[in-house]
Amino acid sequence: MTRFLLTEDKVITFIEHLQKQKNVFAPHKRGTNSFAFEQVSDPASVMLDYTRTLHSVKKYFMPPREQLLSFSLTDNSFAEPTVDPVDAIFLGVHSYDLQAVFKLDHNFSEGNPEKNYLKRREGALFVGVTFAPDQWHFSGSVGINPNDADGFDVFLFAVENGYAVEAFTPAGESLLSGFEMSEFNSDIPAAADFNQHIYVPQGKLSEVFDNAWDNEVWEETSKECVGCGTCNMVCPTCYCFNVEDGVDVTATVGQRERHWDACMTRDFSEVAGGEVFREELAARQRHRVYRKFKYISDKTGQPWCVGCGRCTASCSAKISIVNIVNKLVQDHEQATVAPV
Amino acid sequence: MKDLYFPVMAEITGVKQLSPMEKLFEITLPGGVDLEHDPGQFVELSLFGVGEAPFSVSSSPTRKGTFELGIRNVGMLTDVLHRMEAGEKVGIRGPFGSGFNVDDFKGKDVMIVAGGIGLVPVRSLINYVLDNRDDFGRLIILYGSKTDKDLLFTDELQQWTDDPKVEYHVTVDSGSDDWTGNTGVITTMIPGLDLDLENTKCVIVGPPIMYRFVLLSLNSKGMPEENIYMSLERRMKCGVGKCGHCQINSSYVCQDGPVYHYPDLADLQEAL
Repeated sequence: MTRFLLTEDKVITFIEHLQKQKNVFAPHKRGTNSFAFEQVSDPASVMLDYTRTLHSVKKYFMPPREQLLSFSLTDNSFAEPTVDPVDAIFLGVHSYDLQAVFKLDHNFSEGNPEKNYLKRREGALFVGVTFAPDQWHFSGSVGINPNDADGFDVFLFAVENGYAVEAFTPAGESLLSGFEMSEFNSDIPAAADFNQHIYVPQGKLSEVFDNAWDNEVWEETSKECVGCGTCNMVCPTCYCFNVEDGVDVTATVGQRERHWDACMTRDFSEVAGGEVFREELAARQRHRVYRKFKYISDKTGQPWCVGCGRCTASCSAKISIVNIVNKLVQDHEQATVAPV
Repeated sequence: MKDLYFPVMAEITGVKQLSPMEKLFEITLPGGVDLEHDPGQFVELSLFGVGEAPFSVSSSPTRKGTFELGIRNVGMLTDVLHRMEAGEKVGIRGPFGSGFNVDDFKGKDVMIVAGGIGLVPVRSLINYVLDNRDDFGRLIILYGSKTDKDLLFTDELQQWTDDPKVEYHVTVDSGSDDWTGNTGVITTMIPGLDLDLENTKCVIVGPPIMYRFVLLSLNSKGMPEENIYMSLERRMKCGVGKCGHCQINSSYVCQDGPVYHYPDLADLQEAL
């Protein structure tokens, strides 16, 4: 396919070109070290060169708080909420975050398909961009590289003085049409290396986790962990939720809402009467990590972690999922090597 | 696409006090349609402004027109529910999950081991067997309760006692002065049973601690694992395999359970 050169000085007009077609959401700088996906109002404030956003684009398809229905307490009737497709262009998405969206698509489509999520997902177009791995990224270990354009409508490959732009879908081609760019005929420079890795091929992870249940790493990490659930909140593939009713101050109407929930918190596995099925922090950490590398993976054949590094970057106790997995890998290999 | 989270507005058509803590609610769906559940399945009951929670259906699908939920007053939603009366509305979603596959039980002896409030869900199976009595062999019911004052469904317990085709055994951890029955934990009743082990389907429903001891006892008795079934408690928030709350390893209790065939459960850590 043809690639075009988008020079650095044309990026703003390119964003303006996209804005004429649909709403555009892109990374913006927030605070000193943080980035967030937000709707673009000023194209000059878009940051295409960023490490990672605090939350992934998941927040648009599965909002942190979402109405499931509204009700009237006077006559016990309820009404369907309005759920509109996000129908926007997501610009500057890193490859791991798009793969995370595809994983959520699987979770909300399989078994009982969920209308709310699938409706919001309609019409979303993704324009990817190369990322430079920082100290937390490890997506290469789960098969996702900085220049992976899989699934994108358009990808912006980082090159000297700008981006090599390629469309991969008819919708992507249509996004580019009418925007003047010269052809780009050079090679795409190799993406930068990752600074950390999981030390086995992803195909072997399931086997590692077969022998990881009683590993001491769960107990060790639980000494530092405070069970705050931040790792769940920032994870682009976590989709567990709680459902609660809220009542308006008039006490006549209200809404049933779902909100993101965290398996690292104690009450997540609590049942009526107070029994908690994962009382220990070690058991909760194990559940979280098994969900990323074993439980769903055995059914789908791929890790459910995309290697974005958010859980580790955001952890106030500095618990590293890569260190946990590598400890399991190391112990598994020592246990399976035949004695000399 | 069907909306997964919308309830059907049903009516409470009867309320009966089962014990100081438990009430039995008779629920009628709009138009008196049947719930069409399997014994062992659950529904999500909701009260607008309070919330939603999962409850096992206590009645057998053979009893038409209404269904029953036996509910302990143990939290916010159940507290509000316990103050409600016949004629008031509740939201119902479901039935959900996998119940007892009664076809597998046909022609077999059926043994029920129920502890405390565990009798509520398993009553759906007991009454199913009683309503199709000729399809099954012996019906053996072991029921254990903390005290004789906590015994549930006392009218039905009396019927089982009087029914020559039901082998009903009951024990309480501690009985009051006028209690003349067995005293002791439920496992004390297992060694003395004369069972056709290969031909007996055994169902265990009770608090987590009870499962471990009943399993040990059944194992000593020589009960084959493939003849054992259990129903597990978790807080299913969605009932449709999405919210993650009921997950045990890779199994969702709201989908694969709450009724499990023991060999499928034996490999799951954190199940019991």
